[in-house]
Amino acid sequence: MHAEITSLLAILVFPGVIFLFVLAFFYEWVDRKFFAKLQNRYGPLHTGAHGILQPLADFLKLLSKEDITPFASDKLIFALAPIFYLALPLTTLFVVPILSQTSLITFEGDLIFVLFTFTLIIMTVFLAGWSSISRFSTIGSIRATLQMLGYEIPMGLVTIGPAIAAKSLSISKIVEWQSLHFWIVFLQPLGFAIFTICLLAELQFVPFDIPEAETEIVAGWRTEFSGRKLAVLRLGKDLELVLASALITSLYLGGPQQFWLIPPIITFLVKTTFAVMLLSLLRAVFARFRIDQMLTGTWKYLLPLATFQVILIQLGFGG
Amino acid sequence: MALIKEALKQLFRRPATLKYPYEKLNPPEDFRGRPVWNMKKCIGCGLCFKVCPSGAIEMIGKGLEAEINHYVDRCMFCGQCAETCPKNAIRMSEEYELAEFDRSKMLHKYKRDT
Amino acid sequence: MSHGSIIKIPFGPQHPALKEPVNFLFEVDGETVVNVKPRIGYNHRGIEKAFELRTYTRNIYLAERICGICSDAHTTCYTQAIEELLGVEAPLRARYIRVIIAELERIQSHALWLGLVAHEIGFDTLFMYIWRDRETILDIFEMISGNRIHYAMNTIGGVRRDIHAAMMPKIKKGLDLMEKRVKYYLDVVQTEQTILKRATGVGILKPKDAVDLCAVGPILRASGIKNDVRADDPYAAYNEIPFNVITCDGCDILSRIMVRLEEMLEGVEIARHALDSMPEGVIRVRVPMKVPQGEVVSRVEAPRGELIHYAKSNGTTKPERYKVRSPTLGNIPALCKMLLGGYVADIPIVLAGIDPCFACMDRMAFIDTKKNRKWVLTMPQLRRKYKRKCMQK
Repeated sequence: MHAEITSLLAILVFPGVIFLFVLAFFYEWVDRKFFAKLQNRYGPLHTGAHGILQPLADFLKLLSKEDITPFASDKLIFALAPIFYLALPLTTLFVVPILSQTSLITFEGDLIFVLFTFTLIIMTVFLAGWSSISRFSTIGSIRATLQMLGYEIPMGLVTIGPAIAAKSLSISKIVEWQSLHFWIVFLQPLGFAIFTICLLAELQFVPFDIPEAETEIVAGWRTEFSGRKLAVLRLGKDLELVLASALITSLYLGGPQQFWLIPPIITFLVKTTFAVMLLSLLRAVFARFRIDQMLTGTWKYLLPLATFQVILIQLGFGG
Repeated sequence: MALIKEALKQLFRRPATLKYPYEKLNPPEDFRGRPVWNMKKCIGCGLCFKVCPSGAIEMIGKGLEAEINHYVDRCMFCGQCAETCPKNAIRMSEEYELAEFDRSKMLHKYKRDT
Repeated sequence: MSHGSIIKIPFGPQHPALKEPVNFLFEVDGETVVNVKPRIGYNHRGIEKAFELRTYTRNIYLAERICGICSDAHTTCYTQAIEELLGVEAPLRARYIRVIIAELERIQSHALWLGLVAHEIGFDTLFMYIWRDRETILDIFEMISGNRIHYAMNTIGGVRRDIHAAMMPKIKKGLDLMEKRVKYYLDVVQTEQTILKRATGVGILKPKDAVDLCAVGPILRASGIKNDVRADDPYAAYNEIPFNVITCDGCDILSRIMVRLEEMLEGVEIARHALDSMPEGVIRVRVPMKVPQGEVVSRVEAPRGELIHYAKSNGTTKPERYKVRSPTLGNIPALCKMLLGGYVADIPIVLAGIDPCFACMDRMAFIDTKKNRKWVLTMPQLRRKYKRKCMQK
């Protein structure tokens, strides 16, 4: 009985749902603040110390707003899409080690599960945009799917790299291998770069914010969402950011490691914060690509480079 | 790449924005803020009222008894009144925080002390 | 991508890419634009009628408020027209000050535009940097004229405020900083791959089309045609200041960016030269309230292109007819040409590429949207049109 309560608490509170929500809000703040700093601005300032509560305030404000469902929309999918969009990254985070070197749920092949949920997220995006009927949403969701065709395969290819190195398809095992050997980022820098670029595309950050390009198609696939649904979508996006940074950390930066007296959770937080800052730096210094440029770019450069990385590992470099 | 260098440089600079309600810039010397009438100098010629492009000035009475009503909400701070005034009775002040919730508070009345 | 299924996308009147209301209806096949229908007039404010109801002095400030960004171009054009009717000429020092203000305005207007273009292609960091640097010029304006945007420097018969010797160091320092930054942006624009990818070969306007469709200003010059009112029909003190008319023959967005950046550098040079060679003397002459009968057309090179004002006076204190042809209106037919065959993703940047100012523009519709007729007015036609209008009254 006691063990069951602890594991339930682990899933619901720490390092489970509530902790991840807090982390999501915190990383949104880190992202916004760092992005602002890069642009010579202050960023969020007044809510809490240095505006740290601003993402939470935004979330609460959106919860209290009117929730409009467009008359012509497919109401069931329209209502379910935000929930899926929130649930998918949240569930996936359970297989990523946070507290120690083993995650809450671990099984051989959870790396493939993660890649699979990334695809599912985009399918949810597609359904969300498609079900809202609006022209902007439709174009946005088509773009999201097209974009997925571009980055999905290179991402799948490069994530094989750490798996081959650790000889396991489980993220926890990869983390464990790194604590015994090197961080994989030193072994496969090219793979790290490609993985980061693919994550930028997955997160729909500049230069790949094509599906929600503000100046072209308003808010893209999210145009028709408002109130609670938009709040949930935003939280889902923040969780995706947590997931992305956690994946960078565990696949390439060694995951939660014990350094002397520093507990693994602290190293995990430091590394993920670094990953978030890397992602915001990258989104600050590029202009948005056009969808056709993005697709040709990924197929022409990213895919061959990803293949090259795999060949290098097979030849014994970085494996 | 030129931009990455520039962006990283910003991390060591003070943000260019001001925390406005807490930090304020001093307006320059000849700033065109809210016009202020000096009724001791005013001779009630009515030129300011005639010349005002946005009709923000109202004159009640005539000559030396005249009183001025200035509607800040209509004023566009061009300074033509101050320029036209033959007695230099109008000065463009440095006041710029002029928004109010109540329109009646945006009417500035200039009366003559007797 | 599906072919044959055409989606109609409304663009505006409210749209994040538009800073002012205008409506375009795009017919889109997949991601390609196959038809454009502009609808203008959302910003019609009845300014020309208002001109007829106000005295000449009050009209200076009305002319200024036609546009927020090129306010000085409008007042220069207005005061020039009225000065010509009155038969007076502004003193030389006043004309030099007009040049300085005009060039500073060109710099800040182009900087604003460049920031917006960066924003349109999703480059918010560049947008923030450029607008931060633009503050330098706005601060200079605040110091000279007492206001950041509506400088109200021009008056009939000269300028209202002098540029004192005490202001010189700050202005020159600001110009130096601006020159440094513009050179940096020139470097960024030419080397940053994502910008090059989005701006090269986008929104092509061939030189012949540019002339046929009456494009004006930087759009025309970016299509390789040397046309600048400052050089062709010098006003203010432009005939005494040496400068180059910048052209670029890329015909695309990149060359429009380059033309404007180079013009900013040229503007810095012109302003410096004018500051150094400004003669001493009075800055304004007094003029009567009543303007003798007559009509006049005045031209000015606004930051966005050739600006034309027409005034007809009947000998009273108010104009009988006033007409403004702003550069954006001249560029709308060319804009439709640029958009056709492009991508949906390129609409914002092409649209922003003409530096549209709809508040300036919305006065008279020139494009018949129902018949989709394109309509070109040459200068003589324009004059004839106005004459006919005046006769009808």
